[in-house]
Amino acid sequence: MLQVESHYCGHCLENLASADARLRKNCCVNCNNCPVCSHVLSIRIAVITASTEDPSKSVTRKMYYLVCSFCRWTSRDVGLPDQTSVSTTFPAWEPRAPNCSPRPGIELRIPEKFLWLNRGGCVCACTSATGGWAEREVPNAQRISSLLECYKGMATRERHDKEKKKYVPRRSYLHFSDKFGLSTLLARKRAGLGSLSALGYKDDSTGLPELMPAVASEEVEQLPDDVFSESVDLSKVSTMRQRLAQVEVQPASVAELLPVHKPLLVKQSLRCRECEHNVSKPETSPSSTKFKIQLFAYYHVPEVRIVTCEPLRPGCPAELIIKLCNPTQHQTTLAFLPLPSHDEDQQEYEHLVQERRNKRDAEVKSTPGREDASMVIQSFTRQLSASEDPRPIKVQVTGDITLPECSVVLPPRDDAAEYDDAGDTHAFQDDPK
Amino acid sequence: MEIQNMYYNKQDYVETASGNKVCRQTVLCGSQNIVLSGKVIVQSDAIIRGDLANVRAGRHCIISKNAVIRPPFKKFSKGVAFFPLHMGDHVFVGEGSIVNAAMVGSYVHIGKNCLIGRRCVLKDCCMIEDNAVLPPETVVPPFTRFGGSPAHCVGDVPECMQDLMLDFTRNYYQHFVPLRP
Repeated sequence: MLQVESHYCGHCLENLASADARLRKNCCVNCNNCPVCSHVLSIRIAVITASTEDPSKSVTRKMYYLVCSFCRWTSRDVGLPDQTSVSTTFPAWEPRAPNCSPRPGIELRIPEKFLWLNRGGCVCACTSATGGWAEREVPNAQRISSLLECYKGMATRERHDKEKKKYVPRRSYLHFSDKFGLSTLLARKRAGLGSLSALGYKDDSTGLPELMPAVASEEVEQLPDDVFSESVDLSKVSTMRQRLAQVEVQPASVAELLPVHKPLLVKQSLRCRECEHNVSKPETSPSSTKFKIQLFAYYHVPEVRIVTCEPLRPGCPAELIIKLCNPTQHQTTLAFLPLPSHDEDQQEYEHLVQERRNKRDAEVKSTPGREDASMVIQSFTRQLSASEDPRPIKVQVTGDITLPECSVVLPPRDDAAEYDDAGDTHAFQDDPK
Repeated sequence: MEIQNMYYNKQDYVETASGNKVCRQTVLCGSQNIVLSGKVIVQSDAIIRGDLANVRAGRHCIISKNAVIRPPFKKFSKGVAFFPLHMGDHVFVGEGSIVNAAMVGSYVHIGKNCLIGRRCVLKDCCMIEDNAVLPPETVVPPFTRFGGSPAHCVGDVPECMQDLMLDFTRNYYQHFVPLRP
């Protein structure tokens, strides 16, 4: 069972909380993708000499624009105005060698804390013009937000209904009222004053936000007159992929393509479907490769590798040599068994399925409250632990195998074996016979 | 599948005290700027451009045939400046790949005929598919698999990538043996 651990941007490696990510529509605020080839856009600096009122003086200004280093698309191609402001964040960095003095006009003035020395001894400074890039008005934004609001309201109501069902107060707890100073509350309630709202209790009688149903219209916009007479210039028409990268707008012309915010990536953790224990849990930092919980099969199941396999010919015996590696620190004994026949397999499969069903039935009986809570509501509010029935293995066996009769012993893993010249590990007695 | 033994002619390769195996049929420019940390294999016709900037390869790296390791550059008004290229441990660079990255992390697998653009940053435990073209300044986050042209994230790699690469590069080194006459 997969679970999202954290959201992060694949380019600037900024970590975001899931609520934050949802707020930003699962996109990075700082990084933009090229609308043509979907590569990350980088920031270029241009120096512009602007004339002032005094003709003898001219002011040089730095302007920032976006460039795709793969397809050479620039934000100037679609007439996006250059940015003047620059905020210092991590992503795009401008490396500078110590013995290479940049152009006077392009001198980067960056606070000391954003300069760092990398190992090669060159100074790197990071700059990026963030934010401020023109955002396109989404034509249906209002409709989408009203729909979202409605669904949110519905979800809250459903959750509320469910919780109400779960905790049915069996009896009134008013006999505790004196003990916990609730008598004033009670008095207010009796007097008909709305006191419960002060406790954060929301009455669910407030209806859902009103939703205007969509209206179908018969009138469809006519095609332009020149659609049959003009030849199509494919270089000016956006491709399906480019359109779908901007789902809200879906520009038909290349000239309307605007930078797309880079979608976020996720770090995921894994849980067992049966017992819901964590199996793998990575550290939240996007650039970290370490794990808090790391229970992989790789560290427990012996690895089987084919060393050599003779070409298989009908009627002739062929030799297959396999290598078994023990990943654990314990001595492991292995036995070889033939593949079960189809009938045996089927029997075992049915037995397993039956066992599962019994277990599930027993679970349902032990929690009677669960029956009336409808499954639909559950699926909205909580991720179901989807336990699957085991699937039968369908393998057509066309040959006979002669297996070694005895079992073999795998020695425990020895990390130092690589540095061991004595080679006494090779003399390990793996055949107990 | 277990890696088959790969045999090389002893006279074609130079083996250093730290276990580096470098083919004589390679172009190592500016060898004083190239650091191979030990048990590194550099195969025939590979090019490492140490004359441009420092190149450092960690332990158990494999640089396959026809691969090019070339420090990245940045254009300035007064010419260009080159930046050092650092490669972590247990990195595999496939045949015919060109690496222009600023940094390659540890446990990275680069496929065949890849092009890693200027100043790319490859983090630890990532994988570049065969024939991928990484445009300049691409960042490859850990546990992702990049492919295509321009390369983008096409999937992820198993969580035990570190152990898989450790195993792979160690096995490769053990099976890269001289031909006995």
